Parts: sequence; structure tokens; C-alpha cells
Amino acid sequence: MPILELKNVFYTYEKGKAILQNVNAELEAGKMYAILGPSGSGKTTLLSLLGGLDMSTKGSVLFDGEDIMTKGLEYHRRNHVSLIFQSYNLIDYMTPVENVQLTAKLDVVPILERLGLTKDETQRNVMKLSGGQQQRVAIARALAFDAPVILADEPTGNLDVDTTEEITAILKESAHVFGKCVVVVTHSGEVAKQADVVLEIKRGHLLFWKTCFLPEGLL
Amino acid sequence: MSIFKRAFLYVIRKRGKTILLFTILLIMATFVLTGLSIWKASEAAQLDLRQSLGGKFDIFVDWSHSPYVVRETVKEEYDEETGKTSTNFIMYSTVQFTPENIAAIKGISSVKYCSARQDTLLPFDRVSLFPGTISTDAKYQSYTKVLGVCNTEDDELFTTGTLTLAEGRHISANDTHVAIISQDLAERNELKIGDYLTAHSYSMEDESFTGQEIKVQIIGFFTPSVVEQFGETITTYDKIQNRVFVDLQTSKEFDGGEINYGFSALHITIDDPQDMARVVADIKALPGIDWEAFIVEIDNETYENAAAPLATLNELVVILLVVIIVVSAIILALVLTLWTKTRIHEIGVFLSVGIRKSAIIGQYLIEVLLIAILAFGLSYFTSNAIAEQIGNHLLKQSMQTEQEDENDVSVAVDVGADNLIQKSLPTESGIHVSIGLYNLAQLYLIGLAIIIVAISASSIMVMRLKPREILSKMS
Repeated sequence: MPILELKNVFYTYEKGKAILQNVNAELEAGKMYAILGPSGSGKTTLLSLLGGLDMSTKGSVLFDGEDIMTKGLEYHRRNHVSLIFQSYNLIDYMTPVENVQLTAKLDVVPILERLGLTKDETQRNVMKLSGGQQQRVAIARALAFDAPVILADEPTGNLDVDTTEEITAILKESAHVFGKCVVVVTHSGEVAKQADVVLEIKRGHLLFWKTCFLPEGLL
Repeated sequence: MSIFKRAFLYVIRKRGKTILLFTILLIMATFVLTGLSIWKASEAAQLDLRQSLGGKFDIFVDWSHSPYVVRETVKEEYDEETGKTSTNFIMYSTVQFTPENIAAIKGISSVKYCSARQDTLLPFDRVSLFPGTISTDAKYQSYTKVLGVCNTEDDELFTTGTLTLAEGRHISANDTHVAIISQDLAERNELKIGDYLTAHSYSMEDESFTGQEIKVQIIGFFTPSVVEQFGETITTYDKIQNRVFVDLQTSKEFDGGEINYGFSALHITIDDPQDMARVVADIKALPGIDWEAFIVEIDNETYENAAAPLATLNELVVILLVVIIVVSAIILALVLTLWTKTRIHEIGVFLSVGIRKSAIIGQYLIEVLLIAILAFGLSYFTSNAIAEQIGNHLLKQSMQTEQEDENDVSVAVDVGADNLIQKSLPTESGIHVSIGLYNLAQLYLIGLAIIIVAISASSIMVMRLKPREILSKMS
């Protein structure tokens, strides 16, 4: 039973350029998905549709079999999805603990500590942390929210190789250990390799690839 | 995390913005509170002025148009040298005010005093008067002015404080054959309370006070607050120390006839000049007064002249308040709009984690309110420091404006033949501006309205943006 579904989704910019054409997909809980594609191919648009940040021009997005428009996009964002961004998107006047507490449904400090932040770091101003630490805070916020879907837009885009590996491992663990449906938009082949399924956007269409059968040159 | 905690964190962590907003709100609140307190002080001064001056009007016989006015010839004399005939006549109204009319008028709400007199010049037996400074006929050197009243307590000389009852009691409506004289006159003639003064009624035949002997018992002494100044010209009978008050019955007996059975004029003082029209209407509706015989003359000029600067000040303060409120709302809205634009990243994050737009705007409102509570509280002290000075400066400006308009404005209680004592007016020493809890409550309400308007205006952008657009702006 898919937790998120895209059914005959079209997305066209106001200027008339079709970015997604008749996209269909079924995303399951407990799996990590990577969305690949060249710049401007519609990766972030697809993530925005899944996260209820935008509406499709045609077609529908379903959560647990129900169109997310039925209860509204705000409801979908507030209850079903957690978003992680490349630029971390943390609140600059809050500490890591307070940032995570913004929407937390779970105990905050153990999650932050499990993600490698010391107690002292959790009480500092979030802007005084390194990029990797800030992304850990952003992931902690997503995990503490305990939403069934985690959507990450280039979460390792600004990070070094070691930190990228750590963050990818955390996202993978979220899917496999905590049963989340994790969707990651990425340009990184290393991140994509860790996913269970790779979704490639090609000329507005979505292609599915099992990680073990990835075509040569995709990554 | 609750909306209040988010707002509190922003206020304490973004200190620069907090201090700037605090300063803006403090200045705004100081002006608004100062305006409100001056307005209140001006209103209070107007009320004080009204109560202090009271309203006054006279009702008297319409000698020109009343059908009840009678002109009787008393004597015709022929001058042999000139060959001309001169006629002596008396003129009176057959309709006069009675003590019952006065009692009914006093019963009307807002009527403070109703003063009526019969004036007679007559000599008392064996009474030595204080001599005046103007030489008169020898006949009149022993004459003094006798005022026949229903009640001395209501007489204008006593109500204005020109005379004060020093000993004994006032003449009341039920008294007959009683008198109140000055303490000076009593000492000069070694008279004491309970002693009698003797005079005679007017004889038409003799044309002098040679009629029936009338005795009046002294029941009180008065002392004047002011007497004529050195070098001032005055007749013996006009000297205040020689004045004698008697009851109406005695006054009528002195008159020697039935012509003057009551009063041909009333002087009415009311508590509040604003009630003038209503009181006059109420009096005109009283039964038993024939309005063909009388006319009403309202004297509100003193009040209007005195109140004009305060009214101008009031208008000025109201205009200033409106300007301050509108300008404050605009400035606040502009500042908050600019700040909202710098918070676009934060808005995007909040929306992406599912926080409603209304909750975001609510947070902004709480942030401003948290700062405003402190700023408005502190404005109590800043306003207190400047309100009185600004208020009195504005009042002076208003008074100058009024004087330019009116050319000659004299503000006085009254100036009559008896040199009524001059009271100092509340506006002469300026207005007393103080800030009370009521003003502070008003400030909080007005401030809340300004903040809500400013936040609403500055949040239009947030309400219009879609989450995706914000996230695009962020990236």
C-alpha cells in the first residue's frame, strides 16, 4: 500500500512551459527514494507537489489514498510531511533545541544527541554551528516532527564528503529503521546509490530505477 | 512551540530591532498620552470654569412692551419764569415676581441662586452713617440704600463673597421686620443683635418718609470683603458699610403703598452655563408667571469669553491626537512592512513546517504587543514630564489666538454697581495636566488599535505569498 501517490500529474509554469507531464508514482513507507535529473528538470517542483507546497496543474497527489487537496495543503504539511532543505532553513534567533521544538512531537534532546550534537551545541545559537551541524538540526526537526514522509531537497548540497555520508546514513536509517518514506532530491551519485529506488525525471516524465539496476551514466 | 514562546524569543534575541521598536512605540505613546491628558485637563478646566462662573441671567419687567406697565402722574408743576409745566410721574408694573415665583424657580434643577431686591433710599432715626465722598443734597446725607429681599443668603452680594455674614443669621422668606446691617455701622452706632432700627414709611402727601413708624430688629451683621478705594468717589447711601438689608414685607411697608408688592427683576445663577437654555425653558414653563410682562436677558458672555481658549485648546488637541494616531499607524506599518520583508526566510520555514499564516501574523502581533506594554508603561513617566508644559504652552497659544480674534477680551466674574468681588478663573493660572489610570487605559486601547492596523497592513504581503514562492525567494 503506497503512502504517497502521484496520479496523472501535470505541472505547467505560468509562461506555458510544461515541466511535468502525466507523472505517475507510488511511494511506500520504509523506503528511501532519490530523485535525479538535470537542473530545471522539475525535481524540486515534484518535491513541492509531494510536500503540499504547490498544486499540480492537473492530476492529483494522494496521501494514504486520499487527495491531499481534500483537507488542504496546509493540513498535509502540518501532519504528513517533514521538509529538509539544502540551505537548512533554520530560525536564526533560536537554539538547535528551540528550532527542533518548533514542531516536535517527540523528545528533542535525545534526537539531537543521536545525530551527534553535544549538549553544549544544542543550547548555542543555531547560526554558530557548522553547516553539517545545522543540517543535522534540520534533520532532527524533521525526525522530531515524526511525520510519515520526509522530503529532502539537496540535503547534502553544501556539505563535505564525510558529512554527506553521515547525513545520508541518517536518512536511510529513518526509512529502514523508523519506517519513514524518505524522498531525496539530489545531484549526488553517492546519495542516490544509498536509495532503494531512483526516480529519474526525463523531459517531464518519470522513470523508475531499482538501485541495483541503474543504467550506466545515470549517476 | 507556542506562538507566545516564539514571539518572546524573537523579542529577547533580536535586541536591536526590539530597542528600535521600543523607541518608536515610546515616542508614539508619549505623544498620544500627552494629548489624551491635555484633552482631559482641558475638559476638566472647562467644567471647573463652568462651575466656578456659573451661568447668569436676568428676568425683568419689559418696560417698553409690557401691557401691565402703568405710568401715573403724581404731580404737575408750573414754572412761572419759563412758563413750562413739568410732570412728576411714577412707572410700575402691575405684574411682579412674588416670593412664590422665586420659590418655584429655585426648585428647578441647576438653579443655584435666585436673587431679587427692592431698592429704597430712606433715612433711619438716630443712625449715624459713614459719610460718602460726593456731596449730595443735605436731605440725602442721612439716607441709605435699603434692600428688601426674600432671602439674603441668595443675594448676589453674599453669593459672590462680596459680603460675608459675620454674626447672627440671614434673612429668610418667613421673616418680617428684621434687618442685617454692617458690623462697622453697628460699631459706629453701638448697636448689637436684637436691637431695633426705626424708620418711617413713605408719605405721598409729604413726599418723604414721614409716614407710619416702622421698627426692624437687627438679626445679623455683615462684613464687606472690599470697600471703595481711597480717593474713589461715592455717595453716602451707596457706601457698602451703610447698606441695610430688610425682609420683603418691611420693604413694602417702607414703600407706603400697594404698588410694589413684589420684584420687578430677578437675577438667577445656575450651576452650569451649558444648562442655560434648558433652565430658561423650564422657568418659562412654570405656572403663575405672565410672560407678557417680562423679558429674559442671558449673560453668557463672561463664560464664553473665558471658555473660548479652552475650547480652542480642545479642538487643537483633538486634531493633534488624530494626526499623531494616523502618523503613528503609518510609521509603524512602514517599519513593520520593512521588517516583514527581512523575515521572508523565517516565514518560509514556518510555512514549510505547517505553521499557519494566521499564527505567523499572530506572532508578529504578540511581539509588538510585548514591547508596547513596556513602552506604554514607560510613557506614563515621559508624558508626565512634558504634558503640563505642552498643555500650558498650547493654552497660551489658544489665548493669544482668541485675543487676536476678539481684540478686547476681559474675563471677569461680574462688574456691577456694587463692585462685586473678582474671582480668579481656573484658566488664569494655566491648566493642571496629570496622567491618570484612565488615560493609560485609553492609551493601551488606542495603541492596540494602531498596532493591529499596522500589523494588518504589513502582513498583506505574507497573506498573499504562496509557500512555494517564499521558498523560491529563500533560495
